[in-house]
Amino acid sequence: MTDTAISAAPRRASDNSALVAKRYRSERRFKLYGIAAIAVTAVFLVLLFADILVKGLPAFFEHRMTLPVSVSQEAIDPQNSKDPKVIRTGDFDGPIREAFRAMFPDVTSRGDRKKLLGLLSSGAADDFRAMVVNNPSLIGTDAKVPVLLSDDADQYLKGRQTGVEKIQGQGTIAASADGEKFKLMTDKTPVLTAGDIVRLNGGAFRVVSADNGAYVAEQVLAPKSLDPANAGAWDIVRFTVTEHNRRIDDQEALWLEQLKEKGVAENGVAWRFFSSGDSREPELAGIRGALTGSILTLLVTLFLCLPIGVAAAIYLEEFAPKNRLTQLIEVNINNLAAVPSIVFGLLGLAMFLNFFGLPRSAPLVGGLVLALLVLPTIIIASRAALRAVPPSIKEAALGVGASHQQAIFHHVLPLAMPGIMTGTIIGMAHALGETAPLLMIGMVAFIVDVPGGFTDAATALPIQIYLWSDLPEIAFQSKTAGAIIVLLVFLFVMNAAAILLRKRFERRW
Amino acid sequence: MKRFLLAASLLALTAGMAEARDQIRIVGSSTVYPFTTAVAEQFGKTSGMKTPVVESTGTGGGMKLFCAGIGADHPDFTNASRQIKKSEFEDCAKNGVTDIVEIKVGFDGLTVANSKAGPDLAFTKTQLFLGLAKEVPDKDGKLIANPYKTWKDVDPSLPDEKIEVLGPPPTSGTRDSFVELVMDKGAEGIDSLKALKKSDAKAFEKVWKSIREDGAYIDAGENDNLIVQKLEANPQAVGIFGYSFLEENQSKIKGANIDGKSPTYETIASGEYKVSRPLFVYGKKQHVGTIPGMVEFVKEYVSDKALGEDGYLANKGLVPLPGDEFKKTKAAAEAMETIKGDQLM
Amino acid sequence: MSGTYFALMAVLVVAAFILGAQRARGVRGDRAGMLHSLPAYHGLYIAAAVLTAMMAIFVVGAPLASHYVVSQGLGAFDPSEVAEQLHRDAALRDIQNLIAGIYQGEPSDKLKAAAAAYSSASSLVFWGLNILGVLAGAAVIFWGLGRITPELRARNQFERFVKYVLLACSGVAVLTTIGIVLSVVFEAMHFFSKVSPIDFLFGLQWSPQTAMRADQVGSSGAFGIVPLIAGTLLITVIAMLVAGPLGLFSAIYMAEYATPRIRSVVKPILEILAGIPTVVLGFFAALTVAPLIRGWGQSLGLDVASESALAAGLVMGMMIIPFVSSLSDDVINAVPQSLRDGSYAMGATKSETIKKVVLPAALPGIVSAFMLAISRAVGETMIVVMAAGLAANLTFNPLAAVTTVTVQIKTLLVGDQEFDSAKTLSAFALGLVLFFFTLALNYIALKIVQKYREQYD
Repeated sequence: MTDTAISAAPRRASDNSALVAKRYRSERRFKLYGIAAIAVTAVFLVLLFADILVKGLPAFFEHRMTLPVSVSQEAIDPQNSKDPKVIRTGDFDGPIREAFRAMFPDVTSRGDRKKLLGLLSSGAADDFRAMVVNNPSLIGTDAKVPVLLSDDADQYLKGRQTGVEKIQGQGTIAASADGEKFKLMTDKTPVLTAGDIVRLNGGAFRVVSADNGAYVAEQVLAPKSLDPANAGAWDIVRFTVTEHNRRIDDQEALWLEQLKEKGVAENGVAWRFFSSGDSREPELAGIRGALTGSILTLLVTLFLCLPIGVAAAIYLEEFAPKNRLTQLIEVNINNLAAVPSIVFGLLGLAMFLNFFGLPRSAPLVGGLVLALLVLPTIIIASRAALRAVPPSIKEAALGVGASHQQAIFHHVLPLAMPGIMTGTIIGMAHALGETAPLLMIGMVAFIVDVPGGFTDAATALPIQIYLWSDLPEIAFQSKTAGAIIVLLVFLFVMNAAAILLRKRFERRW
Repeated sequence: MKRFLLAASLLALTAGMAEARDQIRIVGSSTVYPFTTAVAEQFGKTSGMKTPVVESTGTGGGMKLFCAGIGADHPDFTNASRQIKKSEFEDCAKNGVTDIVEIKVGFDGLTVANSKAGPDLAFTKTQLFLGLAKEVPDKDGKLIANPYKTWKDVDPSLPDEKIEVLGPPPTSGTRDSFVELVMDKGAEGIDSLKALKKSDAKAFEKVWKSIREDGAYIDAGENDNLIVQKLEANPQAVGIFGYSFLEENQSKIKGANIDGKSPTYETIASGEYKVSRPLFVYGKKQHVGTIPGMVEFVKEYVSDKALGEDGYLANKGLVPLPGDEFKKTKAAAEAMETIKGDQLM
Repeated sequence: MSGTYFALMAVLVVAAFILGAQRARGVRGDRAGMLHSLPAYHGLYIAAAVLTAMMAIFVVGAPLASHYVVSQGLGAFDPSEVAEQLHRDAALRDIQNLIAGIYQGEPSDKLKAAAAAYSSASSLVFWGLNILGVLAGAAVIFWGLGRITPELRARNQFERFVKYVLLACSGVAVLTTIGIVLSVVFEAMHFFSKVSPIDFLFGLQWSPQTAMRADQVGSSGAFGIVPLIAGTLLITVIAMLVAGPLGLFSAIYMAEYATPRIRSVVKPILEILAGIPTVVLGFFAALTVAPLIRGWGQSLGLDVASESALAAGLVMGMMIIPFVSSLSDDVINAVPQSLRDGSYAMGATKSETIKKVVLPAALPGIVSAFMLAISRAVGETMIVVMAAGLAANLTFNPLAAVTTVTVQIKTLLVGDQEFDSAKTLSAFALGLVLFFFTLALNYIALKIVQKYREQYD
């Protein structure tokens, strides 16, 4: 094994120094391999995280407006009962719509008003309701209320639908009606192209065709008047994505631009992402339900698989007679690690749901299934850790009169703890990210309510990610990435716990 | 250590016992899932009852669970991207699930689309058949393995691009619908195959049901968003998926015309764009009265504000039924009329 | 109900331990050394006995009790009203809601009577079970205390108890295997009655297109799993080519070269890789890695499928690095320092020591880490679903699209087909085959380890 040192002895000195240099080179190379391996992995991780972060950060922000709303007695609590139950059922949508329409007094036609209200989230009144229920003294007063915008409007304001370029108008521009269409005349020749929007006198026109100095345009928003506008009083808005290629049309986009310019629409942290359950409206959807479900599931898993896994590992490593049966169990445990996770789902369905009659979609069942799933990982890791404790430790303990079990539990097991912890953390991380086995036991589901116990219907974070990634709404894609970020933070916390544990226990002989 | 295991499992045993459910449970197709969840959420918000739990299990798995029996352990509704089959109906009946309410909720358009960076595409069904079938007739009408490498080989009017179609796998209901709606009709457009249909219907069926497996058609899994993003990355490729994904991703992809009709909300609703399939929700009438909210949920589903022309489901990309059919479906659903096995296939 | 019981049980177990230990000390008196076992073992011995007794009462008593409560509650109704499971459940829910005070509407007299019977029965059972448990526990304590003599072999008795507990725990893994085989085997048999096992195992074509409807025949569908096994092997080999060297070298660096500080940071960071949901990695593989590979391939004039085994294999390899690195690191770290010191004393450099002394000593652990990683790669689904596709090509070209057994299982199970069709049933047969395939693999690995294992100290 150590023949290098022996064979080096009879060589001549010059040979020797060359050999030593060669050995040092190989030494450096070897060390470099290790650094390179870690570097490659780290680069991969950084790439992955950067990718996720860029996609996911928008999920933590939302656009909302602060509107002055009159909290009307009639709409909310006509009997003046001051009972929170009654207040909760009041009409909160009405006052909000009223207040929003008041921002755009020029919008009068039924169709336009409907479109305008479409910019509000279907849950726009939720904040308002919570505000009034918590503070009934607001009724009858005017209040500043945060109002949530719809996912499409939010996407537009985040710049994810189209780029917007605004150019101040040079010279004077005049519009005149020309049948259905309008004619735009300028004294200087600005560079207007078809598709550009000209805003003047509170209205907006979309250029249809350009004809040097005179442009044919169609009305997008009705102007207050057709008076000529001077330089500075009008501007050009140019969208980089054409109208039929985005979900917000020109009219809606211009309304949103107005909101932004007035400073009404603002970007804020979307706390709702952490405080609410799932929803089919991207702007209302949150991860609290999934996060709670994951925590409950993992608790069950940890409480089951750590003690059982360690106990099984101790038995197999120390107490089991070395015979064919033990060998079979050993192979079988390795094999379990390779069983596709969805098959564990089948097992859970057959055993826990159909045989034991446990409830569907419950974190308890999820935890049981995941515990069976990660048990092999923990057993294998724990056995490796136990095996790695030098036999001398055990022998010394036996030598001074400890029983076999005392030697194991008092001396070997504490020394094997760091390795066991590593295995457990890897196993738990695996359980945290698993989707497929939960499919069969009904956890791949749309669940709005945040679960309150181990038998309530619940889902888990990776499932939420999987479900969101499959929905058509674009806004769910950033929600998906946002949920992934939360999951990763969760993982970081678990691993940080592992570092602490390992630091406390690790030893080297 | 053992104590934990026993404690947990025994707690579970006693907790799971004798507890009835007051929440509706729905299983089934992932295609109908986005719509049923929207209804469930609205139902939870407006009815004051618990929001139903909607699982995404696939149509087949959903039917299996749905038909397993009546009682609190079994789901109340199942989503389906195809009609219930006779064998499934019989399975249901065997397990005591005899009164099944069928709600046809609307249509899902199947679109063939490619990247905005790619060429504009317009296919006929026959061209799609020739591009995708495993065996096609040669000049003499004899069946040979599909020789076409590019779309131009199929028809000179099509672009000179490699045939590369990302579509659903054979296990998917979307694939079955595509095959029935496009490949079947496309094959009928070829004279020699039309003759074959008359002489040997089974052989004909084999021709239109077999999709080529030489790499030109790629089974791309069920995640339609993934197909969209793959299309964006690869302008040569063409994808097959549901209309709602086309609508949401207008800025990245465009739908191909089929038989001269472009896939839009209007053309699908009017029936001009023929490549669309009905979606269903099935309910257990026997659970009415024992699971709270059964009737109310059905009413919410078929209400005008959900399924109507401007309903919130239309906003989510579901193409509603035409007016008359909607009225009929609505009336039947509200009365909880059950289906009979003899009309099924 | 069970909460109180377990709280009482915990109290009695602790009491048994303290009393037992005290009594043992009392028996010993001042004749030190006369006790066979340490006093704590006498305590543990009695505590274990109490635990066993009270557990047994609960296991038998709790189901009987809840059965009694239910029958009392339902007794108020006409037997015909609650003959069916469905109505029984509904009646029980009403009763429970009424007791909890959340019943909607006006309860009928019958329901009120039922609720009264139900609640009196449940309080009777509650007290009955708790008192029975406490009495039994106390009785066991008295019996145990009486048995404590200097000659009592308490430690041996207790250790026997512990050994049975340990045995039961390792039995869980075996039970899981039996459960898996049982939950798969019937459906698989059903499948093999439709498709011949020979065709299934040796068929070179996988294309599960079967008839959609009973009246249609359609193409028969080919169920030959060779392409799936080939695809699985191909992707696993690629993944191990990535994870093997990267993981092992990372482990060696962390265990032998890195300062403890660096190690304590790098190791958990690598472990994060194992926990990233595979859905996420799948997206990354399909949307970032696959187009990159395709781009490079095309610039080199190669024909690369947009979904390639290489992309899936690379990303999967990244995912399983921590299985190799973390576990190998732990076992390398555990090789006794004396071995290294011996090697250094002979003049070996660090890398020579690692290659010739440390790694052979750590080999069994490293091999089990590798086996775990391979197992994980074989069982992984989502990355392959997204990045390598579902096309069952029989090829070993890493640039082509392949599929794996697990992917097929997943897509077949959650598909839209009827559950009794050969398509869906084949998923179970695939599961069974995969099970025995990996079983064989693991058996071979075990034999190799046993042959080359070297015992050091």
